[in-house]
Amino acid sequence: MIGPDQALARPATAAQPGPRGAGGRRLRWWRLSMSRRRTLTGMGLVAPSFVMVAVFVLFPLGFAVYISLTNWPLIGPYHFIGGQNYSLLIHDPQFIHSVLFTLLYTGIVTVPIFVLGYAMAVLVRSNRRGATFFRTAFFLPFIIGLATESFMLLLELQPDSGAADYVLSKIGLAHATTAWTVDYGLALAAICVFVTWFASGLTMMLLMAGMQGIPTELYEAAEVDGGTWWQKETRITLPLLRANIALALIISVIGSFLAFNQFYILTEGGPGTSTEPVVMWIYEEAFVQYHLGYATAGAIALVVVIGIISAAQFYLLRDGSRAAR
Amino acid sequence: MKLLSGRIFTGVAAVLLLAAAGCSSSGSSSPTTASASFGVNATGTVQFWARTVSKTLAQKLVSEFNASHSNLKVKLTLTSINDDVTSLATSIRAGDPPDVVGLNDIDMPTFTRNGSFMNLTSEINKLPYKSALSPGHVGLATYNGQLYGVPYWADLSVLWYNKTLFKQAGLNPDDPPTTYAQILSDAQAINKLGHGINGFTFAGDCQGCLGFTVQPGIWADGTHLTNGDITNQTANITGNAPLQSALTLYRNMWAQNLVPNNDRTDNGTTWGQDFAAGKIGIMPGGYGQLVDLVKPSQLGTEFMDTPLPGANGGYSTFDGGDDFAIPTAAKNPSGAWEFIQWVMQTQQQDQYPALGATPIRTDVLTPSFSATNPEDAVALKALAKGYAPVTLVYDQMFNQAGGPWFQMFTTAVYDGNMSLALQQGQSGLTRLLQQAAS
Repeated sequence: MIGPDQALARPATAAQPGPRGAGGRRLRWWRLSMSRRRTLTGMGLVAPSFVMVAVFVLFPLGFAVYISLTNWPLIGPYHFIGGQNYSLLIHDPQFIHSVLFTLLYTGIVTVPIFVLGYAMAVLVRSNRRGATFFRTAFFLPFIIGLATESFMLLLELQPDSGAADYVLSKIGLAHATTAWTVDYGLALAAICVFVTWFASGLTMMLLMAGMQGIPTELYEAAEVDGGTWWQKETRITLPLLRANIALALIISVIGSFLAFNQFYILTEGGPGTSTEPVVMWIYEEAFVQYHLGYATAGAIALVVVIGIISAAQFYLLRDGSRAAR
Repeated sequence: MKLLSGRIFTGVAAVLLLAAAGCSSSGSSSPTTASASFGVNATGTVQFWARTVSKTLAQKLVSEFNASHSNLKVKLTLTSINDDVTSLATSIRAGDPPDVVGLNDIDMPTFTRNGSFMNLTSEINKLPYKSALSPGHVGLATYNGQLYGVPYWADLSVLWYNKTLFKQAGLNPDDPPTTYAQILSDAQAINKLGHGINGFTFAGDCQGCLGFTVQPGIWADGTHLTNGDITNQTANITGNAPLQSALTLYRNMWAQNLVPNNDRTDNGTTWGQDFAAGKIGIMPGGYGQLVDLVKPSQLGTEFMDTPLPGANGGYSTFDGGDDFAIPTAAKNPSGAWEFIQWVMQTQQQDQYPALGATPIRTDVLTPSFSATNPEDAVALKALAKGYAPVTLVYDQMFNQAGGPWFQMFTTAVYDGNMSLALQQGQSGLTRLLQQAAS
């Protein structure tokens, strides 16, 4: 059987035109050690991806850091001001408020999204009749998209005419004239419920994929040993889902940190700026106030915070057994 | 979360595009209008950027211009409502702007003060109808006494009323309200009709809509919310009696339940739909706004407009809409000016009402125009007394949920605390004006 390294070497063997010119390069390649050739081959294969990442990720990120160190306006000259934007940032009460609000929002929605997503995954993980229908139904809100659904919800939250007040007033939970989007508590509650409904479908899909990969023999063995449903979930499913749970939680938390659409459409950050998440603060600073340097400093700070939180989550939810190996 | 990420990437991309554009700024020398042939028999192509809100008008004008000009063609590009300013700034930084842009007039000061647009003063002074141009549009295109743009189209606020409901309430449909007291009493009379009919409506969670419709009443009484030159402005809130009267009118409407409950949460998405459905007696709004919502046959018969009055009479309008401007790095400024002049001709201006816009020349208002377009004639009449605040921070003051204008309105109208509202407005506007000056 011909291995990949031998296959790579074959053209040079066949050609061997001489020590100079193009053939000479092949000869030198042929004379390289196997490990050296592997290294060069790997570098060659990775190079296109590296160039793409460098051009579209690393350079823009580096340039964004540079912008954050200037007083970059919408138009006109700019000056390098060092860390002044970052210094202003930590003393800006509106930025601090938006960060705290984002943390509050993330803290509220993360657990419900996970619990609901897990419950739905349990419901649809087997291939029993109707499972496909429920999988589709549960995942549909995520497919339709947050912006579209936010506009729909906006209409349904209108006093007098919206479905929310109509239904809730019938069961005595609200007045027919409750103004959801202009009250801080009501708006936050409505958005949290809405986002939980929207995002739990994705969590369901991620967890369901992991659940379906767990060998059924483990459950059969547990049943033979008299294990209950709860014991099977806690002793088999959850431990083997660590990687999927980590991924689902990280996606959920990052999504919450980047929350924008639902607040922009439903409350516009109001009343006042009470429901303004940090991304909306960045947007307002950049595209309303036209303080592009300052807004970019906020964006860089957000990237750093998300990186730290993601790293912490990966560390805390890492697979202990694999780490030991 | 895909859409959220998409939004972020869009924002970051926009920032980076602006940044990249800044790196390649050409710093080209400013063209002049000194040549005698400027704007006459130009050739080539004119790149015209217009906002999506003027889509119908822009497409019609460009189509007709291209049909009637063989050597000069206009190519239209529509820019989205929220990105028009950043798109233009990006193109200017990159040294590749359009030849002419239709820019929201309140955004003009952002560009005029740093030399982004050509100085058109000498050309505008030659226009025989210069004195008839929309004063608000011209004011926003003026910087240091020089003119950097001309009006393109007007989006004016008026007071719409339902003639059918006026009759049913025993009011004279040919005698619309001309003072705040009459607006209130007419709304009360119509509200008594019941059956889901309300006397008045406003988009109570739409900061821009409220700025568009409430401020003209204050201007009609001769005061503004800011005083002074653009470089040294001060807030004029506390002690501003016309402002207090306007807020009191809206407070009475809200407290007396003369408006629908969902006005409180109307962020502009559904603004005017209840009025167009025949359920509202009086609505301050835009001329083009209702034209888009009702059948042409309903205009004049069921719905009619009148100028937005002040507390005790007089009238004014928010001089909204767009200004034409030619970026200094435009490649075909002569062609752009020829196109602009063509648009401002009476023949083109007369087409505006049918396209949901108001002309920008007050001398277009002839008996013939009034007979053909009675509703737009009302708006055009108000144009002569129109105004638009000239400031670098209009969006921050008036168009934000967390801005001082809306905070003041909310406290005064929904909470009923007038003195606190005025204090909030004074301090909020002062803070923003000081930031803009620094």
